[in-house]
Amino acid sequence: MAVHVAAVALSGLDARPVRVECATTPGLPGLRLVGLPDAAVREAADRVRAAFHRARLPWPDTKLVVNLAPAALRKTGGGFDLPVAAAIAGALNVVPPESLRGLAAVGELGLDGQLRPVPGLLPIVAALRGRGISRVAVPRDGVLEATLVDGVSLLPVDDLGELVAVLRGGMRPHVPVRPDPVDHRADLPDLADVRGQHLGRRALEVAAAGGHHLLLAGPPGCGKTLLARRLPSLLPPLGLDRALEVAAVHSAAGERDPRAPLDLCPPLRAPHHSSSAAGLLGGGSGIPRPGALSCAHNGVLFLDELLEMPRHVLDGLREPLETGEVTLTRAAGTVRYPARVQLVAATNPCPCGDLGREDRACRCRPDQVARYRSRLSGPLLDRIDVQVDLHRVPAGDVLALPPGEDSATVASRVTAARAAASARDGALTAHADAASLRRGLPPAARSRLARLADDLGWSARGLDRVVRVARTVADLAGYERVADEHLDEAAAYRLAPA
Amino acid sequence: MSAPRQPGDAPWHGVAAEGTDPARLARAVAVAVTSGGTARLDRALAAGSDLPAGDGRRAATAARSWAGRGVSVALRGDPAWPLLRCGTPPPLLAWRGVPPAELLRRPAAALVGARAATGYGRAVAAWLAEAVGAAGGVVVSGGALGIDAAAHEAAVGGGTLVVLGCGHGVAYPRAHAAPGGLFDRVVEAGGTVLSERLPDGVAHAGAVRARNRLVAGLADAVVVVEGGARSGSLLTAGAAADVGVPVMAVPGDVRRDGSVAPHRLLAEGAAPCTSPADLLAALGTSQPQAPQDTGRTSLAGLLPDPLLRALADAWPRPLPVGTLVARSGLAVGPVLAALTRATVAGVLVEAAEGVRLRRAP
Repeated sequence: MAVHVAAVALSGLDARPVRVECATTPGLPGLRLVGLPDAAVREAADRVRAAFHRARLPWPDTKLVVNLAPAALRKTGGGFDLPVAAAIAGALNVVPPESLRGLAAVGELGLDGQLRPVPGLLPIVAALRGRGISRVAVPRDGVLEATLVDGVSLLPVDDLGELVAVLRGGMRPHVPVRPDPVDHRADLPDLADVRGQHLGRRALEVAAAGGHHLLLAGPPGCGKTLLARRLPSLLPPLGLDRALEVAAVHSAAGERDPRAPLDLCPPLRAPHHSSSAAGLLGGGSGIPRPGALSCAHNGVLFLDELLEMPRHVLDGLREPLETGEVTLTRAAGTVRYPARVQLVAATNPCPCGDLGREDRACRCRPDQVARYRSRLSGPLLDRIDVQVDLHRVPAGDVLALPPGEDSATVASRVTAARAAASARDGALTAHADAASLRRGLPPAARSRLARLADDLGWSARGLDRVVRVARTVADLAGYERVADEHLDEAAAYRLAPA
Repeated sequence: MSAPRQPGDAPWHGVAAEGTDPARLARAVAVAVTSGGTARLDRALAAGSDLPAGDGRRAATAARSWAGRGVSVALRGDPAWPLLRCGTPPPLLAWRGVPPAELLRRPAAALVGARAATGYGRAVAAWLAEAVGAAGGVVVSGGALGIDAAAHEAAVGGGTLVVLGCGHGVAYPRAHAAPGGLFDRVVEAGGTVLSERLPDGVAHAGAVRARNRLVAGLADAVVVVEGGARSGSLLTAGAAADVGVPVMAVPGDVRRDGSVAPHRLLAEGAAPCTSPADLLAALGTSQPQAPQDTGRTSLAGLLPDPLLRALADAWPRPLPVGTLVARSGLAVGPVLAALTRATVAGVLVEAAEGVRLRRAP
């Protein structure tokens, strides 16, 4: 007789329901998997067979056919081992076939029958919610990740034998309580470590308050990385929904420890400048996997040595930064990953890095410097609202200076400014509509803006940038209306001409 | 006029400077274009013989290129030819703007230096150039990036002479030759952009070095502001010394590569130039008695006192904004806002190295 178990095929974060059917048919003994399985799914046959043997379950002398429906949908990954094994157990009457009703399963089998969690467990379990599923069998090692999904009844099992025992009705597995979300922002490096460097600290605060992308230009050792790594400690904790989005992407990328509780700390990713387009934006063979960009979703993407990155990789960032998601189309299919990140980019001021240092002369030719800095004015850089030239704080001064304000103090100002923006625009200032922000300017500020744009020669996009940053500066100061002072400060967040 | 029509209706009448015979100019340029440079023309002019025949069609192309840019051309010895102290004067000069002979009726100071200039060098060059302009003089330089650019920029209002290393049809340096760039502004403000080359003469190293003799020969004094051990400004100084133009040098930071050239010149007997007064004395003019009080008060209105003091202390060196914030003891926001206001008002210059006051405090 034919029985079936529910499963999920994951394509990116896009989950499609799959029915795993099994029937015994006449023919040579063996197990045949059909329904467009990839190599990993096809190899489930051998793992399932070994797991049956290990669990001392009978294996028939007839032909077994397992079908993964719909037949046209490509199935990938090791997560189909458990539903295949459960369907076979039902077809062989090892477990009562009716016990499979409303059952879904996910998990990879070892040759000893042990179950292992698979990447993407969280989005898979989330996709099963509300599909007429009464129970979801999951590997016990991954159950904590599965508990993050509300409204799903879980069956955590250690191995195939335990699943069979549960389905026979012999035992009732213990489902652990979902652990409380944690917020490890307190463990992050603190802004108090950054001594001096007032300009960089202010730029970081403005960027954090408005959600603006940030560019730090300066010689090596001026504190660009130090500042960038402290941005997450200034951001408010993620809400549960956003934290779940992050966990789902990390799970799909195979980066998440399935036993870890939900983390409310905004993620930070700092891919090396030699990263490929696939590594940064997502890609890989078969179904594209999320890249560093998507892993930094709802958090911070830090690109050090921005100008050393290949041009096409940087160009690939433009559209995701605009839309907040990245769409990857490959022969195997099109997937979308969320990519709403705050970009922090760092770069040297010139090819040799010593321009503007008091203790050392820059060795670049003037035209090299001009060319290098003109690369900073491309379309990607147009989207970076806050740009500052930093300089080294002399080592002696660093030791003599008192520690700066700590992250908690700055974060409280950032939170207040964000609350003001969200009450007004319903969004971060960086994502607010620049035209409506411009209309909200008092008439005096509007004419001041026009004069500044004239005198400093801004493009339309540069004008929008200043309007947004000025709004954030006003929010930080607790002003309801943008004043000249705020526009003047906002206008200073751009790189000096070479 | 009775000059015969040239092939392709070349606009020789428009191109020939006042007192220059268009027909002779056409023949001369034909000689030059045919030999790919001005050397053969130079020999012909020096011999005083009749000009040999040349390629009229290519000469017409050059004429159209000049005419399209509003360039006037004079041959050596023509009435528009300026006073040029030079062992090897060029056979022709092509210029945009005021005829050089007219511009150079005023005392002229050549301010030269390296392209890889420091903020200090740029500030000093601008300081000297502005004083020369205010005293009614003309600033001569090579139109390159760095010191040359700083000197020209500061002297645009007072009249300045750019001596190109390339022809008028070649955009070099690109930023200066762009529409609305330095060269256009120099011409608009009553200055001159000069070249000894045919319109398509590219800026190779030899040509750029050769133009330094013109910079020296057109000026009444040469000041080397900054330059490395192999700087072209040493050639300018050498050319000036050869023809008896006084050479001055600006002392710099002893640790900087850019101070090597001026310090070497000082050691060889060049006069130190430590203020505009030194330079104006060498030019035989004096500083005008124009008190800058109005400027001082507007500065105080634009920049809070601690900022102004920090910038004035550092001048002519630029100060990184971060250092400025630390020294002023003010919060970052108000400092940035004040710097924007000062930049818009034109009293502040910003560069990658930091900000400085445009004028001497």
